[in-house]
Amino acid sequence: MIRKLLRDPLAHFLLAGAAIWGALALLGDPVDPASRTIELSRERQAGIALGFERMMGRPPTDAEMDAAIARWVREEVLYREALRLGLDQGDAVVRRRLATKMDELAGAEAEIVRPTDALLDAWLADNAEGYGDGGAVSFAQVFFPSEQAARDALGGPAPPRGSAISLPRSVDAMELVELEAVFGRQFASGLSQLPTGKAWQGPIRSGYGWHLVRLEGRTAGSVPPLAEIRERVEADWRSATIAARRQRAYEVLREAYTVDVE
Amino acid sequence: MERNKTGWVALAVMALAGCGLAGEGEPSEAQRGDGSDTIELAEFPDRPYWGDTHLHTDISVDAFGFGVRLGAEEALKFARGDRVTATTGMEAQLDRPLDFLVISDHSDAMGSTRRLYDAPRILVRDPTLRRWYDMLHESPEQSTRAVAELITAAANDAIPEALIDPERQAAATRELWDSHLDLLDRYNRPGEFTAFAGFEWTLMPDGNNLHRVVMFRDGSVKTGQVVPFPGLNTTPEQLWDYMEAYEANTGGRVLAIPHNSNLSNGIMFELVGPDGGAMSASYASRRARYEPVVEATQIKGDSETHPFLSPNDEFAAFGVAGWELGNLPLTRQTTPDMFEGSYVRSALLRGLTLEQQMGVNPYAFGLIGSTDSHTALATGDEDNFFGKHSGNEPRAGRALQSQNLGTAEGRFGWHYLAGGYAAAWARGNTRAEIFDAFMRREVYATTGPRMVLRLFAGFDFAEDDWNWDWVRAGYTRGVPMGGDLEDIGRAPVFLISALKDPDGANLDRVQVVKGWVDASGAAQERVYDVAWSDMDGERRSVSGRVPAVGDTVIRREATYENSIGAAELRATWRDPDYRPGQRAFYYVRAIEIPTPSWVLFDAKRFGFDLPPEVIEANVIQERAYSSPVWLRPRRGPDDAPRIMGEG
Repeated sequence: MIRKLLRDPLAHFLLAGAAIWGALALLGDPVDPASRTIELSRERQAGIALGFERMMGRPPTDAEMDAAIARWVREEVLYREALRLGLDQGDAVVRRRLATKMDELAGAEAEIVRPTDALLDAWLADNAEGYGDGGAVSFAQVFFPSEQAARDALGGPAPPRGSAISLPRSVDAMELVELEAVFGRQFASGLSQLPTGKAWQGPIRSGYGWHLVRLEGRTAGSVPPLAEIRERVEADWRSATIAARRQRAYEVLREAYTVDVE
Repeated sequence: MERNKTGWVALAVMALAGCGLAGEGEPSEAQRGDGSDTIELAEFPDRPYWGDTHLHTDISVDAFGFGVRLGAEEALKFARGDRVTATTGMEAQLDRPLDFLVISDHSDAMGSTRRLYDAPRILVRDPTLRRWYDMLHESPEQSTRAVAELITAAANDAIPEALIDPERQAAATRELWDSHLDLLDRYNRPGEFTAFAGFEWTLMPDGNNLHRVVMFRDGSVKTGQVVPFPGLNTTPEQLWDYMEAYEANTGGRVLAIPHNSNLSNGIMFELVGPDGGAMSASYASRRARYEPVVEATQIKGDSETHPFLSPNDEFAAFGVAGWELGNLPLTRQTTPDMFEGSYVRSALLRGLTLEQQMGVNPYAFGLIGSTDSHTALATGDEDNFFGKHSGNEPRAGRALQSQNLGTAEGRFGWHYLAGGYAAAWARGNTRAEIFDAFMRREVYATTGPRMVLRLFAGFDFAEDDWNWDWVRAGYTRGVPMGGDLEDIGRAPVFLISALKDPDGANLDRVQVVKGWVDASGAAQERVYDVAWSDMDGERRSVSGRVPAVGDTVIRREATYENSIGAAELRATWRDPDYRPGQRAFYYVRAIEIPTPSWVLFDAKRFGFDLPPEVIEANVIQERAYSSPVWLRPRRGPDDAPRIMGEG
């Protein structure tokens, strides 16, 4: 029974609502628009004084404090009356602000938490592709305008003689991103299919034509240790976590709704 | 599931405790500066670095109204190659990442449309603003219309005071700028990806476009000492004052990039000074100093030249249609007498004439391309065009709609180009290296494809230089694009190489565009075909004319084949019309074989028909424009000191 209840979206919703209400209650100042009693707790007064001090750089005098409280009370009265009149209804801005607040609420914990190294290490392991250097290759290449010319040269004496083109004849530990930028994606993908070795092989195709290559070395992509890229990983972890929590919170609430689109 | 409940309690408590501050990782020292001494540099610039210097996000006053909801962070992620979700919900990603990005939001009313949109309606008292407020909230179409009205109002100097209240705006801009600079530093990674600070200065007298993108070399320590300079009610000279003060006070560097001269109705590159009298040498030298590069091609058309100005140039009409009709909001029509002041080639010619008259060339600039996209997405490829703004992100029919600006007749969606990119020859990917390449004009423009274009000028280059390390020869025995060559009484010789985009179309031809002042003082121009595919075979030139390369584009499929054209074109070219003592510039134009534009990709993707004339106008030959090399008369002892000496 309890297990079933725990899986019920409505129960989640109610629990979530109760939790928020409880938290609000704990913090004092119950915001009950139906009530015509405005209680000004000491915490609230301290907050008003702090607000004044932040803006003016000094604590308020007694008269200024009275004025600030009067302003706060005025706003509170109008706010409650506005709610009573339903002015929050049908207002696109209020609607969006409240929705945004819910989103922020869901992501708030992730915004302030200081993740441990162990947590980030695990996250990095799961999301390694954005951080690795993608590997590097060392090779020599000779260019041919046609596949046949390349095949003929492969059967001939080494090193093969090709045609002129403004590409490096050999590169040493070129990173994959660089390889794609200089030789194009087609070449990079062709090269990835070849084994390393001292022999000339190919031909492989590029956007320019055909190439014989001697693939001297290939290093697999490696992810730097967390210490070297901690800030970046932390920032990425944070935005991913916030997004995931917002989504999860939304899904929990959304489950309780039925939407009929006419 | 238990975790969810406790999670919610914790969330509620934390959120209400007011601890909403994000604990972002701090950028490292290397990321915060100009990138000097952070990476190993090549001996000579060894590859072009690709970037966009002209991109708008949700704090641009117009971009937000056009619908964009992506900010600088998404823009940076997208440019470096990440997948992001575009405003209208589509997944967006570049085929290949860019190497650098300048986010250039409008300095005027920065963030104000977003603020207006977010304000409670009851606080919006100004009747015009309230009208726009309602339009912004009503629908995407109305929102776009509101911005069109806003641009027209800006052009007519009729923006409601409340929107640009200077005091409120200054505070808001400061806040936006500081957090923006911080974000840029976090994404700036020397050796991998460079994030430049910048803004767009949007002066537009009578709707005539005098816009500049301002680009800083430095990180937040220096750029945080200023805020973006407003364009409304200021002048270019005041912008240069601002730039000069920035450099003097911070020790940093900054440059400005004029763009859309094609929409200036002849006032971007005037022969006279700002007061209508003769241009002064000090005006000319300041302009040359602060504006070393011009954006020659972007979404709102191509500004290289116009068929009216270059009647013998068969490739002069690219990106001209629609845009040639009038200024930016189409409040004033263009007449042919205005063209000379609106296009880049004629401006380079005017520069020679002015230099002959007063010893300083105000228009000795290099060329780049960029997007001017208002979607926060720096898309330059035809098959991945996300539109000028979020109101025309990919959807059926956008190509045939009349264009938003001024909603006037004559400009349609298909007149938009897919946008260009800037290539910078630098020794490494850092703020300092790329910025300095701009300062020495060792940059070039493309209309999107990533061709590799080299140009060296000297006096003793020969055919056999190609057999050795010709790049080293170029740098040690000549000057690269953007350089000055002093006349030694012999015809200059050029080493020119254009390598196709490895993932793109083959090359049709490579041309040299020469401009000079003849003995009678008249400006002249000529286009030379210097290399083309199959030039010794079927395309042998017939009485000086090179036959067309052909056309493999299948219109309905938006495809083409690389069965024509060349992978690389090279030339060792000596100027056959050299005259001793002549002032001249030479730049290279590399032209691809015909390919389908974004309009044909759209028609295929969304399955709709285009009128025949629209189809034919959208089989295009994309191109790259190098920065020029200038040939200058030998300097005598009495000559004024040279302006562009640095770099």
